[in-house]
Amino acid sequence: MVSQHGILYAVHLVTDQFGNLVAKVCECLLRNGALPIHAIVRRTELPPAKVKNSLLVLIQHNCAQAFILEESVSGEDAGEPGKAHTQYIALFVNILHRVRFSKFLDVVSKELGGSCGELFRGLLEHGRLTVKQIVDRADANAKESTNTVQEDLHKLVMAHYVECCPAPEPLVPPPDPDAKKLAKSSKVMVESLTLEQRVMAVAMPSSMRRFSFVPNTDQIADDQQNVNQPPNKDVGQKRKLHDLESDPALEEEVECNWRANFEELLRRLRHKACVDTIKARFDDVAATVLSAMLAASRAEENKVKTANSVPLSLDTIYEEVVKNEKNHSMTFDHVRTCLEELSSPPAFVRTDDESYSIDFTQIIEAAQNQEIESIILKRYGEAAHKIFRLLFGVGRLMETDKIADTIFAEKKETSKTLYKLWQDGYLLVEKVMIGFWSNI
Amino acid sequence: MSRLQSPSALKRKRPDSNSQGMTDQESVVYKLIHEKENMGIWVRDIKRSSNLQDTIVNKSIKTLLDKGMIKEVINVQNKTRKTYLAAEFEPSPELTGGAWYDDGNLDVDFINAVKKLCSQKIKQLKVATVESVMDSVKASGAFKADLKKNHFEEIFGALVLDNEVMEVESNGMGEFAGIKVGKVCYKAIGKRRVGAAAAAAAAAEPRIGAMASIPCGVCPRISSCTPDGVISPGTCVYYQKWLDF
Repeated sequence: MVSQHGILYAVHLVTDQFGNLVAKVCECLLRNGALPIHAIVRRTELPPAKVKNSLLVLIQHNCAQAFILEESVSGEDAGEPGKAHTQYIALFVNILHRVRFSKFLDVVSKELGGSCGELFRGLLEHGRLTVKQIVDRADANAKESTNTVQEDLHKLVMAHYVECCPAPEPLVPPPDPDAKKLAKSSKVMVESLTLEQRVMAVAMPSSMRRFSFVPNTDQIADDQQNVNQPPNKDVGQKRKLHDLESDPALEEEVECNWRANFEELLRRLRHKACVDTIKARFDDVAATVLSAMLAASRAEENKVKTANSVPLSLDTIYEEVVKNEKNHSMTFDHVRTCLEELSSPPAFVRTDDESYSIDFTQIIEAAQNQEIESIILKRYGEAAHKIFRLLFGVGRLMETDKIADTIFAEKKETSKTLYKLWQDGYLLVEKVMIGFWSNI
Repeated sequence: MSRLQSPSALKRKRPDSNSQGMTDQESVVYKLIHEKENMGIWVRDIKRSSNLQDTIVNKSIKTLLDKGMIKEVINVQNKTRKTYLAAEFEPSPELTGGAWYDDGNLDVDFINAVKKLCSQKIKQLKVATVESVMDSVKASGAFKADLKKNHFEEIFGALVLDNEVMEVESNGMGEFAGIKVGKVCYKAIGKRRVGAAAAAAAAAEPRIGAMASIPCGVCPRISSCTPDGVISPGTCVYYQKWLDF
């Protein structure tokens, strides 16, 4: 459930970028969940045409998704049994991603170069584009050749920074009741998916189709010859069947709109944060080895917030390390020693039968602790920083005198610092009667 | 008076005095202090236990001090309490605070010197145990004070809290070869770069977290801040200073 502050912030972002009208429709969806268009019209008291246009804008920019619930199709509908009800749901996380666009652009540009960055910028600005639109835009801006644009798009898709857009109105089945029963009977904690997650899970094309782009210079050349003809399609809509009949092989590609893949960008940033944490804690060699492990296991990662990477053998890791020219001097033993270091407690890398996998949970926890300690250090000083680390490490109540002795500080000053931390909610304090029960 | 009387009988015993020249009251006070040996006794406890008047106790203590039979020591647990010890005893570590206290005050310079030396030894050894560093420090003769193993354990604990070293457990392999499995060891954190990289890392400022690098992250008024309140991002002085580059 999105918090009130979250809704306010998301509405502020949409207002800033798309205006009050679109923001009103967006707010209606954020506050009320998934709604059909007539319900949005009723709640916002806006004309149906304006609501429809607002929804189109939100969908174009990946801030909303249309879908049909299967139960509404098979359910009874007075007078029209089986009538589909298209509903719309706001994609809160994608709205928030809009403030991160400059960061995402930076990541892509640094990895793939300026021309790919420029292409990616276009996708961020316009939400979703067809290949033709991408080519036209590149031609208008930088006069780049079609081949170059196609190659850049291919690079972006192969790196998974760009993906094929989800289906426009997928049919979402009801949650599986057998799965719930199984979870209850086996007493296993099964994460139940939200409606948004279920919708996106169904809407997303298969990973093969999602990241499949083959540059087709001939077709684009034909398209460019027809560029003087007025476009007969709005962005995001499929072409009519007769347009595709001439070249069935192109059907899939032409129908596909392309958009930025935020999941991959989050995954890269998550990996970067893990590497930075390891680098600060160990050294550059450990960071290099971890980067290699991440690169080698990236293709197998299904979720952004995965707890462990896929297991890799020492040989695989070493091959990945020496792929980079800068690491040619690293030996096999170097890598093995480094992995043993990373595996010693607290283990950031798990070992299992000669294979190694990264424990993301451990690394992220260390990074989070570092952030909190940084805040305490800056706000309250070194003594408070030591007290916090001490109490966090022991994980139980500790006497004031003992704390002062452990951090080598005067008791009076320690008491003052403890009081400040307690006042601001960083510590719990408890008065314990000692000596009373021992006399009974 | 008869000549047959013994010489000692001729001398009349002085009232309220003993062989050390103390009055009875002084003797009672001295006995109470002496009984506590190196733990010392608080003046109020003397008054309570002796059942003597305050003025008599105070006078007795002054006399004993002048005679050099007792001494006053500072109790680090409670610096305002006057604590007395018989002259022949040395105050216990509970009274003085141990090796880390000097005249009732924490000897910060000494502690920092020991911490610095231990940190250097850990970096040299790469993987160090308490015993190995203790032996190395004692062999160097850097400190006159007799530091025991528990003192070094306290110092290592402080280094861990300073985020200079991390505590690990030996697995007996690789860099832990030669160290028993399960033994607690210490390694330096993030300072194993060499050459130019080490110099650069040493010269660089400590890494600040993302939240701590913006005003809101460490703001003492964050709970009162609202967009349209008296305290707001628009009127924030911390933001003005931060943005004024």
